[in-house]
Amino acid sequence: MAITTSAPSRTADVTARPGAEGRKINAGRAAAWAAMIILILITLFPFYWMLRTAFSTSRSLFSDPNSLLPVDFTLGAFKRVLGLATTAEAQAEGGSGAAVNFWLFLRNSIVYATLSTAGQVFFSALAAYAFARLRWPGRDKVFFIFLTALMIPPIFTMLPNFILIKNLGLLNTFPGLILPYFFMTPFAIFFLRQFFLGINKEIEEAAKLDGAGHWLIFFRIILPMSWAPIITLFILTFINQWNEYFWPLLVGSKDQVRVLNVALGVFQSQTPQGSPDWAGLMAAVLVAALPILILFFAFARKIVNSIGFSGVK
Amino acid sequence: MARMRKKLGALVIGAAALSLTLTACGGGGGGDEGGGGAEGGAIDTSNASGDVSYWLWDANQLPAYQACADKFKQANPNINVKITQYAWANYWDKLTNGFVAGDAPDVFTDHLAKYPEFVTQEQLVPLDDTLTKDGFNVNQYQEGLADLWKGQDGKRYGLPKDFDTVAIFYNKKLIADAGVKEADLQKLQWNPQDGGTYEKMIAHLTVDESGKRGDEPGFDKSKVKVYGLGLDGGSGAGLGQTQWSMYTGSNNWQFTDKNPWGTHYNYDQPAFQDTIKWFASLIDKGYVPSVAATTGQGESDIYAAGKYALATNGSWSIGSFFGAKGIETGVAPLPAGPSGKRASMYNGLADSIWVGSKNKPAAAKWVEFLGSPDCQNIVGEKAVVFPAIPEATDKAEAAFKAKGVDVSAFLINVKEKTTFLFPITDHASEINGIMQPAMDDVLSGKAPVTSLTDANNQVNQLFG
Amino acid sequence: MSVVDTIEPIDRKDFVPGVRGSDRPPGRGDLGMALLFILPALIGFLVFYVYPFFRGFYFSLTRYNLLGTPRYIGFDNFTKLFQDKLFWNALLVTVEYVLINIVLQTILAVAIAVLMHRLTQSTVIRGLILLPFLISNVIAALVWFWLLDYQIGLVNEFISAIGLNRIAFFGDATWAIPTIAVVNVWRHMGYTALLVFAGLQTIPGYIYEAASVDGSTEWKSFWRITLPLLRPILALVLVITVTGSFQVFDTVAVTTKGGPGNASRVMQYYIYQKGFAEGQFGYASAISVILFIILATVALIQLRLLRAGESDLA
Repeated sequence: MAITTSAPSRTADVTARPGAEGRKINAGRAAAWAAMIILILITLFPFYWMLRTAFSTSRSLFSDPNSLLPVDFTLGAFKRVLGLATTAEAQAEGGSGAAVNFWLFLRNSIVYATLSTAGQVFFSALAAYAFARLRWPGRDKVFFIFLTALMIPPIFTMLPNFILIKNLGLLNTFPGLILPYFFMTPFAIFFLRQFFLGINKEIEEAAKLDGAGHWLIFFRIILPMSWAPIITLFILTFINQWNEYFWPLLVGSKDQVRVLNVALGVFQSQTPQGSPDWAGLMAAVLVAALPILILFFAFARKIVNSIGFSGVK
Repeated sequence: MARMRKKLGALVIGAAALSLTLTACGGGGGGDEGGGGAEGGAIDTSNASGDVSYWLWDANQLPAYQACADKFKQANPNINVKITQYAWANYWDKLTNGFVAGDAPDVFTDHLAKYPEFVTQEQLVPLDDTLTKDGFNVNQYQEGLADLWKGQDGKRYGLPKDFDTVAIFYNKKLIADAGVKEADLQKLQWNPQDGGTYEKMIAHLTVDESGKRGDEPGFDKSKVKVYGLGLDGGSGAGLGQTQWSMYTGSNNWQFTDKNPWGTHYNYDQPAFQDTIKWFASLIDKGYVPSVAATTGQGESDIYAAGKYALATNGSWSIGSFFGAKGIETGVAPLPAGPSGKRASMYNGLADSIWVGSKNKPAAAKWVEFLGSPDCQNIVGEKAVVFPAIPEATDKAEAAFKAKGVDVSAFLINVKEKTTFLFPITDHASEINGIMQPAMDDVLSGKAPVTSLTDANNQVNQLFG
Repeated sequence: MSVVDTIEPIDRKDFVPGVRGSDRPPGRGDLGMALLFILPALIGFLVFYVYPFFRGFYFSLTRYNLLGTPRYIGFDNFTKLFQDKLFWNALLVTVEYVLINIVLQTILAVAIAVLMHRLTQSTVIRGLILLPFLISNVIAALVWFWLLDYQIGLVNEFISAIGLNRIAFFGDATWAIPTIAVVNVWRHMGYTALLVFAGLQTIPGYIYEAASVDGSTEWKSFWRITLPLLRPILALVLVITVTGSFQVFDTVAVTTKGGPGNASRVMQYYIYQKGFAEGQFGYASAISVILFIILATVALIQLRLLRAGESDLA
C-alpha cells in the first residue's frame, strides 16, 4: 500500500464547515453566537482602552480618567516608542526622555524569538516522537521526569543558568540568551507527545512493512501529518519567547542583544510609587505585539485548513 | 538492559558533574581585582582610565547625569562612563543577581534602605582612605547627609548625591472653592486628641457627592467625592514616609533607640500608637481614603483626577504633581505637632562602588566627580531633584522657580532643621515584611492599634 | 447501533499486542533509537533544569543569603516552614486562587474552542480570542489594575453610576484573589482555547457526521464524542494550567504585592519575598521544594486519572 499523506478530503470538508448542510437558525445557535460576541467584547475592551491611551498625552490622562476617547490626542507616544521623539518633546508630554533604539531592539527580538523557538520546537518534536511512538523500557517514567521540569521553581533555575552563561563567556550574546530555551521546554515535549499519541498507527505499521526506518517515518510521515499542532506550538512558543522579560533582562542588557520587551521597560514606572508613562507604555505594547499578530495571521489559514488526521482513505 | 540503564545513569551524572564544575569556577561575586580598596587601602586614582559602568533607576534624571558624564569626559578623556538605566521594579533584582554572578556595575546609585544589607554582604567599597588621599572634602554636603552613609564599622560607603523631604501638595482650585486662602495652609497644627487646625482644614476640604463638606451636618462619609487629604498608596508599612511619619515625628517620637544603626524599634510607645490611632480616625471619618481604596493608581494620578484637595508626598514627586494637566498646584509646609515644630523625613541617595569592580581607580574618580559641585550643579539646574551640596540645592531651587514651581515648602525643613533621618538599621526587608500587613490591618480597622506592640516585639526579636 | 455507542474508550484489557499498538515492548524495543531522538532535549534538560534543581535542593538544606557562603543546617528550614503560619497562609491562598482560576478558565476555554470549531471558520475571530495572550502578564495586570481602580477605574465608575457601591477589587481581602484569578483567566483563556481547538482539529469530521445521521444532537455529541476523544489534550491542558496557576507571581507583584494584609501572598510571591527581598534564600528554597512536590503529586494524579498516556484516536 502506498504511503500517502491525506489530501483535504470530503471528511475535511465536513470538519471545515460543520452545519453547512441544513443550517438552521435556531435558539441554540443564536445563543451560541451571543455568548461568542460577549466573550469577544470582554476580551477586546482592554485593547481598545490601550489604543485609546496610546493616543493620549500621558500628562493629561488623569484629568479625564474615564473618557472613552483619547485625552489630548497626540502621536507623541508612538514617536517615543519608535525613538523619534526628542528628550524635550518626551518630557513635555510626561514621558521620561530615555532613548529607544527601536529597530535594533526589534531585530534582536526577532532573532532571539525565532532561533529559540525553532530549536525548541524541532528538538522537542524529536523527543516527543520518542515518548509517543517508540517503545523502550521506562519510557513513561522518563517522560514524567521530563514533565516535572515544569514544576521547578523559577528561582532555582534563573540564578544557576545565569552563572553558567556567564562562566561560558556568553553574557550579552545571542547564544547566551537562547541556550536555556533552545533544546526543549517541558511544555513543548508534552504538547507534541499528546498529539503524536493520537496519530493513527496503521500508517506507521504500513511504512514499517515497507521497510522504512524511524527517521524516515518521523520526517516523511509524522511531521507532515502533525503540521497543525506544530504550527500551533511554534506560534505559542514564539509568543512566549517574545514576551520573555526577566531572563533577557539578566543576560542581555547590552544594546546589541537587548530585546524589545526589555527595552520597553523604560516606559514603566521609574520611581517606587510613580506611575508609568502610560501612553508610551501602551503604545510600546501595541507596537511590540504587531509582529506576532502578523505572524499569527500569516499562519492562521494553515491551522484552520488542517489536514484531516485520519490519514487513511 | 541493565547495562544500558547504567550507561544512561552515568551520562546523567557526568553531565551534572560537568555543569557543576563549570558553575563552580567563578560563581559568586567579590574578588579584589582592580587596584586595592577592598580592605580600606586607598585607591590610586591618579592614572585612572578605561570604562566605568554606572547604573541608576530614575529615567527623569538620566539627561542630567549624561550631562555630568560628558563634562567628566572633557576633564578625563581616558575614562569612558557608560550610564545604564533600569526601572525601579527591576533595578535591585538586576543588581543582586549581578552581585552573585559577578556581573554588577562599577558604580551604582544606592538607597538607604538597601545599603546596610550590601555592607553586611561586603559588596561595597569603603571610600575613606581614597577620599583622604585625594583631599576630598566630605563636609561640603547638607548637614547630616554624609554621616548617613557611614556603616556600623564607621567607614564611608557612599557619597551623597541628593536628598528629599516631604510637604503638602494642594489643588489651588479646590482650596479656593472651599473659601480657604493659600496663606491659611502655611501654619497648620495637629494633635492626636482632636487633630487641631489641621484636621479642621481637612474636614472642611472634604466634599461628598451631594456637595456637603466634612464639617457640615449630613456629610455622608460613604459617598465622598473629594478627599481633604490623600493617602499615598497604602499604609506605609513601618516607615510611613509620606503617609504618617510627619505626624509621629512631630509627636516627640523616634523610630529607633538611635539612628543610624539602632537596634530597638519603638512602635509600642504611646506617642506612636496615639498618632496612628488619630490618623486611622481620619480614614474612619471619611476625610482620608482607606487603604483598600488606594490600592491602585498612585496618589499623584488620583490627585490629577481632582479627587484630593491636599496630598502629602515627597519632593521626588514634584514633576508628577505639577505636571497634572488642568490643575494648578501649590506646596505648603507640613503641619506642626505637639513637639511645637513640624517634622519631615529626610532621605538621601548616594553613589557606591562595587567591591568586584574591575576598574576601581576610574570608578573612584567618577564617584568623586558625582559628589562634587561640578556635577551636582548640573543636576541642580535641570530641576529634577535637590542635590546634596548646598550651592547646588540653591541652583535647583532657582531652576524650579523658573519652571513655575515654588519648592520652598520642601527646603524650609532643611533651613529650619525640622528634619529627622530615615531609620537605618539591619533587617530592613524583614521588618517591612512584618510591618506591612500589621499596618495595613490597623489602618483598615481590622486590628486595634495595640496590635502594633505585638509587631514591634517581632521586629525587635530580629535583633536578638 | 449508533456510531456514538460504538466509540468507546479503549480499555487496557482489550488491547491486542502487535496490531493496535501496545505499551509492552518486546525486549529492549527501540531504546537505541529513542536515545538518539531524545539526546538534544536530554542535554538541555540536564544542564538547564536538572542541575539547577539539585543545586536549589541543596540550598534548601542551608542558610544562605545569596552573597555569602551557604551554611549547611540540615532540615531546619523544613521544620521552620511547617510552623510558619505565613507558609500555610500562602498555601491556602494559592489553592483558593488555583481553584477559581482553573475551573473558570477550563470551562471558558472549552466553550470558546467548541464555539470556534462549530460556529465559524473565521481566522479573524481566532486571532481576536488569542489577543490577550500577546501581551505579557505584567502589562495585562497593569491595565486591569487601572480599569478596576477603586477611585478612578472605569469599571467602578460604571458600578457607581448604576447606583451600587464601589468595589475595591484589589484592595479588599475577599475580592483580591478572585480578581487576580479573573484577570489571569482573561489573559489565558484564548491560549487555552487554542490548545483545545488544536485538539478538536484532530477529531475526524466523519464521526460527527455519522452521529448526526444517527440523530445525535450537538450537545449529546459533545459529551459522548468530543470530550472523550479530547482526553489527551485535556490532560495536557489541565496539567499545564494547574501547574502554571500554582506558580502565579507577576500579577500579584504588579498589583497587590501580597496584600491587603496577607490576603494575596501566594506561594511564589512569598518565596520571592523571602529569597530575594529578605535574604533568606535557603528558606525560600525549602518552600520551593515543597511547592515542587505538591505540583508533581498533583500532576501525577491528573495524568493517572485522565489516562493521559493513551489516545482513543490512534
